[in-house]
Parts: sequence; C-alpha cells; structure tokens
Amino acid sequence: MLECSELYFNVDHGFLEGLVRGCKASLLTQQDYINLAQCETLEDLKIHLQTTDYGNFLANQTNPLTVSKIDTEMRKRLCREFYYFRNNSLEPLSTFFTYMTCSYMIDNVILLMNGALQKKSVKEILVKCHPLGRFTEMEAVNIAETPSDLFNAVLVETPLAPFFQDCMSENTLDELNIELLRNKLYKSYLEAFYKFCKNHGDVTAEVMCPILEFEADRRAFIITLNSFGTELSKEDRETLYPTIGKLCPEGLRLLAQAEDFDQMKRVADHYGVYKPLFEAVGGNGGKTLEDVFYEHEVQINVLAFNRQFHYGVFYAYVKLKEQEMRNIVWIAECISQRHRTKINSYIPIL
Amino acid sequence: MGSMFRGEEVALVQLFLPTAAAYSCVSQLGELGLVEFRDLNASVSAFQRRFVADVRRCEELEKTFTFLQEEVRRAGLALPVPEGRLPAPPPRDLLRIQEETDRLSQELRDVRGNQQALQIQLHQLRLHSAVLGQGHVPPLAAAQMDGPSERTPLLLSLGGPHKDLRVNFVAGAVEPHKAAALERLLWRACRGFLIASFRETEQQLEDPVTGEPATWMTFLISYWGEQIGQKIHKITDCFHCHVFPFLEQEEARRAALQQLQQQSQELQEVLGETERFLSQVLGRVQQLLPPRQVQVRKMKAVYLALNQCSVSTTHKCLIAEVWCATRDLPVLQEVLRDSSSEAGVSAVAHRIPCQDMPPTLIRTNRFTASFQGIVDAYGVGRYQEVNPAPYTIVTFPFLFAVMFGDVGHGLLMFLFALAMVLAEDRPAVKTAQNEIWQTFFGGRYLLLLMGLFSIYTGFIYNECFSRATTIFPSGWSVAAMANQSGWSDAFLAQHAVLTLDPSVKGVFLGPYPFGIDPVWSLAGNHLSFLNSFKMKMSVILGVTHMAFGVVLGVFNHLHFGQRHRLLLETLPELTFLLGLFGYLVFLVVYKWLSASATSAASAPSILIHFINMFLFSRSPSNQPLFPGQEVVQSTLVVLALATVPVLLLGTPLYLLCRQRRHSRRDPAGRQVGWVGHLPDSGVAGCWPLQATSLPPALQLVPSEVFMHQAIHTIEFCLGCISNTASYLRLWALSLAHAQLSEVLWAMVMRLGLGMGREVGVAAVALVPIFAAFAVLTVAILLVMEGLSAFLHALRLHWVEFQNKFYSGTGYKLSPFTFALEDE
Repeated sequence: MLECSELYFNVDHGFLEGLVRGCKASLLTQQDYINLAQCETLEDLKIHLQTTDYGNFLANQTNPLTVSKIDTEMRKRLCREFYYFRNNSLEPLSTFFTYMTCSYMIDNVILLMNGALQKKSVKEILVKCHPLGRFTEMEAVNIAETPSDLFNAVLVETPLAPFFQDCMSENTLDELNIELLRNKLYKSYLEAFYKFCKNHGDVTAEVMCPILEFEADRRAFIITLNSFGTELSKEDRETLYPTIGKLCPEGLRLLAQAEDFDQMKRVADHYGVYKPLFEAVGGNGGKTLEDVFYEHEVQINVLAFNRQFHYGVFYAYVKLKEQEMRNIVWIAECISQRHRTKINSYIPIL
Repeated sequence: MGSMFRGEEVALVQLFLPTAAAYSCVSQLGELGLVEFRDLNASVSAFQRRFVADVRRCEELEKTFTFLQEEVRRAGLALPVPEGRLPAPPPRDLLRIQEETDRLSQELRDVRGNQQALQIQLHQLRLHSAVLGQGHVPPLAAAQMDGPSERTPLLLSLGGPHKDLRVNFVAGAVEPHKAAALERLLWRACRGFLIASFRETEQQLEDPVTGEPATWMTFLISYWGEQIGQKIHKITDCFHCHVFPFLEQEEARRAALQQLQQQSQELQEVLGETERFLSQVLGRVQQLLPPRQVQVRKMKAVYLALNQCSVSTTHKCLIAEVWCATRDLPVLQEVLRDSSSEAGVSAVAHRIPCQDMPPTLIRTNRFTASFQGIVDAYGVGRYQEVNPAPYTIVTFPFLFAVMFGDVGHGLLMFLFALAMVLAEDRPAVKTAQNEIWQTFFGGRYLLLLMGLFSIYTGFIYNECFSRATTIFPSGWSVAAMANQSGWSDAFLAQHAVLTLDPSVKGVFLGPYPFGIDPVWSLAGNHLSFLNSFKMKMSVILGVTHMAFGVVLGVFNHLHFGQRHRLLLETLPELTFLLGLFGYLVFLVVYKWLSASATSAASAPSILIHFINMFLFSRSPSNQPLFPGQEVVQSTLVVLALATVPVLLLGTPLYLLCRQRRHSRRDPAGRQVGWVGHLPDSGVAGCWPLQATSLPPALQLVPSEVFMHQAIHTIEFCLGCISNTASYLRLWALSLAHAQLSEVLWAMVMRLGLGMGREVGVAAVALVPIFAAFAVLTVAILLVMEGLSAFLHALRLHWVEFQNKFYSGTGYKLSPFTFALEDE
C-alpha cells in the first residue's frame, strides 16, 4: 500500500462508504428508544418503527406479531443491506466482508454441531442460524464425527478452512470438545482478521485494531468467567485465549491462573481500559459484565465513524445495527412479557 | 383572474363537529378540498390519538387489498380504473367491507394453495420422469450387460467375499448451481466410494413457485455399503435434492416412467380445473377491488384528518382548526350544515384570530398554472404578497423570445405547442407517463407564448432560419449610390466591397417600416451593427424590467400598511436606479434621435460620457450630447449617492423611533394594532403583524434591524450594477442563436443548394442534406438553444426581477382533498 491512500480510496470504496454513513445516520436515536419504551403492545411498537427508517418492514406479517418475527425481519433487513455492500465491493474490501461473515459462520457451525449432538433435526436449528453466516455446505456439518472429518469433508472450501489449522484432532465431538473447537476457531479467526487489518495498514489498521483487540480481550475474560467450575484445565484455558489483545501476554498468563471473579477483576485492574468496566459491574441498575462490555463496544464502534477512508465503518455499522436489534428485541420482550421494570436497560447508540 | 395579483385572503376557522356527524362532515370536506387542517395534537404520538384503532383497521384492510392486488397482478390481469363517484363509506360499512374482503381473500388463498400444491406435485412427477428418462445407465449394470470387458472380472473377483454387498443407487435432481458443490462434497465425504453421474435435463421445467423455467441437474449415484448410503442421504438432504426411487431393471424403469406420465396427465387435468376456478375468483376480485380500495383509502384519510382534531371538554364534539379561503366560507358553512343535518346538532364554523402567517392560496387555471409554477419554483409567496406570475405571463416569453428571435424556429415551437394545446383533452395525451413528455406538456401554454413571441422578435430581427426576408422595399438604394458616385465597370471589378453612404442624397430613403432592414444581411458590417443595437436594447429592457420590479414593491408596502417604506425604501431605490441607469437609457435614446448620418463621424461616445459621469471629469475629444450635460450628470450622481445613506438608515431609525414612542406610551407592552378578522376590518387582515403588534419578546433588536437593512442596501446597490450587466445575456444569447443558425445554413443548406447544375443531382443530394439540416435545426437550435434561452430567462426573472420586491417565504395552502386519491 502506498502512502496517502486517502487520495484514491474513494475511487473504489467511496460509494459504499457514503452509503454506510447514510445507513448509520438512520440508527434509532435516544428519542426513538424513549418512544419505543412507552409502547403498550407490539402493535404500537410496529407503528413506531414505521416512523423510523425501518419503514413498514413488518407490513406483510400476519397477526399476531411476535418478538421472534420482529427479530427475523430485522435480521433479514440487515442481511439485505450487508449483501448489498458485499456485492458492490471490490478487493480488498470484499475480503474484509468475508472476514466479517466468518464469525457468524463459526457460530452457525457450532450451533449445528450441538444440534446434531442433541439429535435435533437440522431444520429446527437452521431457523436459529444467523443469516449472515449461511453457506451452502452448512447443513452437511452433522455428517462429521471428528474435527478433522469436519474440516476435510465440509469446511475445506469455505473461508473457515484456514482457521482449522490449530484444531485438527481426532477427538470425538462431544459438548466440551465442541466448545473448545469454537473457541479455538474464534481465536485463529480473530488473529487472522487482526493480521489482515494490520497488513492493510492506513486508517483501517488504526481503527480496526483497537476494535479487534477489545474483542479478543473480551473473549479472554468471558472464557475465563465461563471456565470457573468446569473441568477445563488452566493450561487448556490459556491455549484458548486470542493473543492479539492488550492483555497479551502478561494479562493472559494471569488470567489463566485466575480462580474466581475477584481474581479476574484484579487482573483487569492492571489495565486502564478495563478497570472502569469492571468497576461498573453490578453498579447502578445491576449491570452484568456482558452489558458493560456491550456498552464499551458501542462506544468504540461509534468512534470508528470519526475517521474517514477506512473499512472499519462497515464493521462498526454491522455491530451497531446488531446492538440496535438486541435493544429492540429486549424492549419487545419486555413489552410482550409485561415485564416493564427492566425495559430501560437497553444500550443506546449515541 | 383578480386573485392572480396577490394571494387570496385566508382565514383560520374553528370547526365544531358534533361527534356523530364529524366523520360525514370531514368526508364531505375531503370531496370538496376546501380547507387545510391544522394538527392540534402535534404533541401526541401517533398511537395515542383518538381514531388510531380505526386507522389501524383501514391499514389491515389495505394489507388484504395489497395481497389481492398482488395475486391479480401475478395472474397477468389488469385492475380496471374505478368509475363514478365513490364517497367514503359510512363507518358502519367498514365491518361489512372487511368481512367481504376477508372471505374473498380466504377463498383466493385456498384456491391458490391448492393450485400451488398441485403444481409442486406435478413438478415432482416431471422431475422424476426426467431422472428416469434421462438414460442414466448404472455403470456396473451396463458393464454386466455388455458382457465381459476389462473391468468385470476384476470387480467380480473382488466382490467374491462380499457376495451380499449389492450396488445401491440414489437418483435425484438438484439445482444446477449446487451441482458442483454437491459432487465435490460427495467425493470428499465418501472418499470416492461411489460413482456419480450428473446430467442436465433436456427440457426446462417450470418452477412451481416463481413460474420461471429452469433446467435441473439429474444425478445418479451408485455406491456400496450402508454407512456410505446414510452419508449420501444426509448430504443430498442438506442440498435440498429431490431424491427418487430408482429401479435397477430397465424394464421396470420403463414401466415406472409410463406410470408417471399417466399420473402427470391426470394431474394436469385437475390443475386445469383448479385454474379455471381460480380465474373465476380473480374475476370477482377484479370487479370488487378497485372501488373498495378507493373507498378505504378515503376512509383512512378521513380518520387521519380527524386525528388532528382535539376533543372538546364535554366530549360532545370535535374541534378542528382549518385554513380556509374567505371566499369559500359560505360554501364551508353550507357543507357543514348539510352533512350534519342527520345528527340533529349542527356543525358550526367561525373565524378566529391567529398569530401565525396564513398559507398562500392562488387559484390557477390550465393557462396560468405553468407561469405560477415558474414563480413557485423560486419560492411560494408570503401571504398576500404581490404575485409576480401575471407579469411573468408577458415578460417571460418576451425575454425568452429576445434571445430566441427567429421566425422559423418560433413558428416550429408555436406549432408544436399548439398541437399539444389542441390535443390536451385527449385521454391518451393526458395519461402519458413519460416524464420528459409530462414536463413539456405541463408547460404547453408557456411554449405557445414563447413560440408566438419568438415569431414577433424574429420579424424584428428579420430572420427566418437565419435568412432575411424582404417584406417591404428596403430603405437603401444601391442604384442611387452608383449613379451619384459614378462607379465605372472597372471600378466595380476592382472593388469587392463598396460603401453605401447615407449622407449621399437618395441612398437612404428612410427607416424600414418594421424591424431590421433586409439589406443589412448583405452588409459586411452586419454583425457590428446588430451588436450595437442588441446591446443597447438589452440595457433598455433590463432597466425597464428592474424599475418595474421596484415599482411592484409599492403595492406590497401599500397593502401591508408600511407607508414609511414608500418614502424610505422605494423612493431612494428608484432614484438610484433611474438616476444612474435610467440616465444611461436616456442617453441611448437621445443619441438615436439626435445624431444624424451627416454628423456620424463626430458623434459623441456614450460609453466615455458614462464613465466620465462617475469620475466628474470630461474628455475634450468627446463632444457633449446636449448643453448643460455635465451639470445634469453631476446632480444625478450626487443624488444617487445621497440615497444610499437614506436607504441604509431610514427604515431602521424609523422603526426604532416608533417603537420607543409606543413603549413610552404603553409601558406594559400591550398589543396594539392587533387587527381583528372581521371581513370589514379593511386592508391588512392580520398579516404581516406590524412591529407594534409583536409581543414584547419579539420586539425589534436594533442590531438585527440594522444588519438586515445593511444587507438589503448593499445587495440592491451592487445589484443594480451587476444586474444591469446581467441583462446583457439577452444580447449574448440572441447573438449566439443568430450566429449558430447562420453557420448551420452556410455549412449545410448552402452547400447543398450550390451543388451540381443538373436538376437530378441536386435533387438527389438535397434530400439527405435537408434531412441533416432539419435534424440539426430541431436538436441544436430548437431544443438545446431553447433550453439555454429558457434557463437564462428563468434566471432573469428569479434573480434580477423578483429580488426587487418578492420575498417568497410563504407556504402553500394544501387543502385536505380526495382528489389525489381519486387519480
């Protein structure tokens, strides 16, 4: 890459960047959320969404309206937008988009394997799969019995193939192994994505690297938290941590030794970024660690829009849109279950 | 037509609609399109309004309508346009309509579902027969039938210990784009323990859902072993393949094929029956749907309008606030009385005073609409402001024609517009959807006048397709010149260019009766003569146009009761404009009248005079035009400069003085001069509110007033100079047009006419040459030049003319009407 890529960025990607910025402007505002939270029924919610950029995307839904219908339609909308971006993109932006879909593909593969393990029918699980991570061979996942089987037969042609290098083993796929597989896949995915952004350089690297670093650290924390009280050994745990974040390497080593939440918090205290996050946990409104992480994610994604001429806006937009969908689903769930006390604990996008 | 000069008087009217009659009243108002509703519930969100449930029911119905419409469209049928008057149905009919529609849509859905199911079944049968009929021959079976070959003994000997292991088959069909992936996955997953053959179907099959024909890939997989079989089945499942039983014996397959064909024939018959029934149902939908759609749309519009009304404290009636033209008030009263007569309690309308600026209403007819459109494109006038549209009717085509002057081109444009005007009532012309056509059609009267005026200016310029015509005998006599100066043949042979001297007796007989003398088209100094003429003409037209604009401001000031502005703004402005540029016009006209041919050599230069006027100097070589010219000039410049401070400080000082006087008299800031809305209240109505009538918070801020006036002054004074220069575009464009048509004639037509003496050659060559001339004339001279002249005329109106008096900051009265819905 030459210097001053700003000069010719717009030749290839200017249209899409303009488009994504327009899309970002259509995200719901604080006022929209306030209005949504006042709704009495899902029908009211629908009317309110009609006044926003969602338009009448629910118009063709037959009654009664349910939360899952809203969720599916919103996902479809996001998918349409995403595929529009992707179909109009040029290299290397299209590779960037492929990387973005990989995380959803991993989730889908794992979901399907879990389903196969519990002898659920493929159709039942397909509904739950994220549409962004769909690929043709997806449904054939359940014919595999070992990870190497899975790789050789099913995934060798998909973009996921390179991530399998570290997780080829002849272990049978039980629940624990699947979970390990997921985390290993995620680790190599994040590292590969990070490398891609780093190699791309320019503003893209400057914007995307912090986002991915945070993503890696978040995974490290969550893996640690979830491994408390399971049979996962500390050595194994350490191999699952993505090694690109700010925690690497000392923080990860300390995390690997952590045995409860307080020890984890002590590790986080060494880092200026994570200390305030852990302090906010359980504070006003009883926020969970997950909520706090989401809030921070929204923050850094919004920041991505402050710079121009980079790919990070696409990533940030999809993530923000996902957060918005989570918010709407949360509000809709609260409305439909008449559980209004917690309706305001959505995470607004500023 | 009287209402064209300024917007009509519009009043804010409060309607008290008894709850029982509110619906019928509003629906009747919608039919007439008299009033614009004001939203009284702006603070209430959409779903908390009173009639939201009814609106939602209408939306539900519309959803069903959309479904029905989609079905009709899918069947390739058109919906007829509803005829006759279809009033909004009374609310109690909604339930009936809903039931009726639901029943119909349910029926349609059932039949459609049946048809779809049958089609899918048929598709399956066809695929199956395609798979069987494709002639996939099991490789192994083929080998056995062919007798011993190279491979058979090997396989048989291998198969020895596994006598029970039979070769199994999976046959099916898959969409072609998935075939490659399927084949690869099969190969990888089963490690090659299978033989698969893929083939495209010979004929295309209709997709049961989309109805599009598509080819499919049929495949036959032969494999050994149970495990592999399960895997293959899983894989084919995940690719959504259609898998069919495949018999090993060829005879059995053939029998199965025959059976399938028989089945599909039977199925087709059933399908035919279903489709007939479906078309019956669709026919009923076609009949019922369009009027119902219109009715429900009206109903929804009525409820949305009702949602903007507030509820009275007693819940007995709804209160609506509407804008309504004063002229329509009696009609409004009558409508309300009529439509609420059933309810027993009569709906009441009465005028209420208002603070806001009322909307502007200017009624147009098909002739004035396009001119009003030109003005509105700049900005909708303030309430009751002077409307420039009636003047635009004349000035716009005229200024256009000054730039476009050519009899031939004007005539073509006129005829085109005339054809549109004559055909305007034909439905085919009216309903044409082409956007470019609609633009031209909308401006047909504009084009008509533009063509007409172009013919007129074409005669003035004496140009028809760039050729001069001799209607009257020329005012110049070459013979007289030749006789007087005694040109010999030798002299004539030597000199290609000769001068006609008007001072010689008998050469110049007098001015040409109308327009430019055709003899100029032969002259070598034709262009410099025209340039001088057109330049002066542009300045004269421009100054007149602008002065007219300033004068129109007088009517605004009079109407709004701002008489101080007459003295403090219009008068200085006129002095400035006429003192400087009016004087220039005077000089031009004076020189035309005073300078004669004999004194041409020593005639004074206007340009030098005008420059000297500002420098207060004189050049000895330039004779004065008239005695005492310097005194007049100095006086005018001083006067013009003296108006600038008046313009700059007059209005603000006056306003501030008046405000101080009022506040001294009226310390509480009582609202003075707040004019009531009685019809007899005289000129002003309530808008614009005078400075005195503003509430204390909105009182004048001195800095703002001064700033505003300073901007206005600078804009006007600089504008006078730059706008006068801007009118020179009249000259430039008309010159460009004349030169372009001249070039086209010289390069194309003259070439053709000068070709070959023999009649045959010229005649043959002239056909394509004339075609080229005609096409270029229309494309370049009429369309391109016409558009550019139009654009410049538009600019002259918007910028140079309208900024002298027109603010254009109002908004249109957009009445609540069903007219759009009826379309």
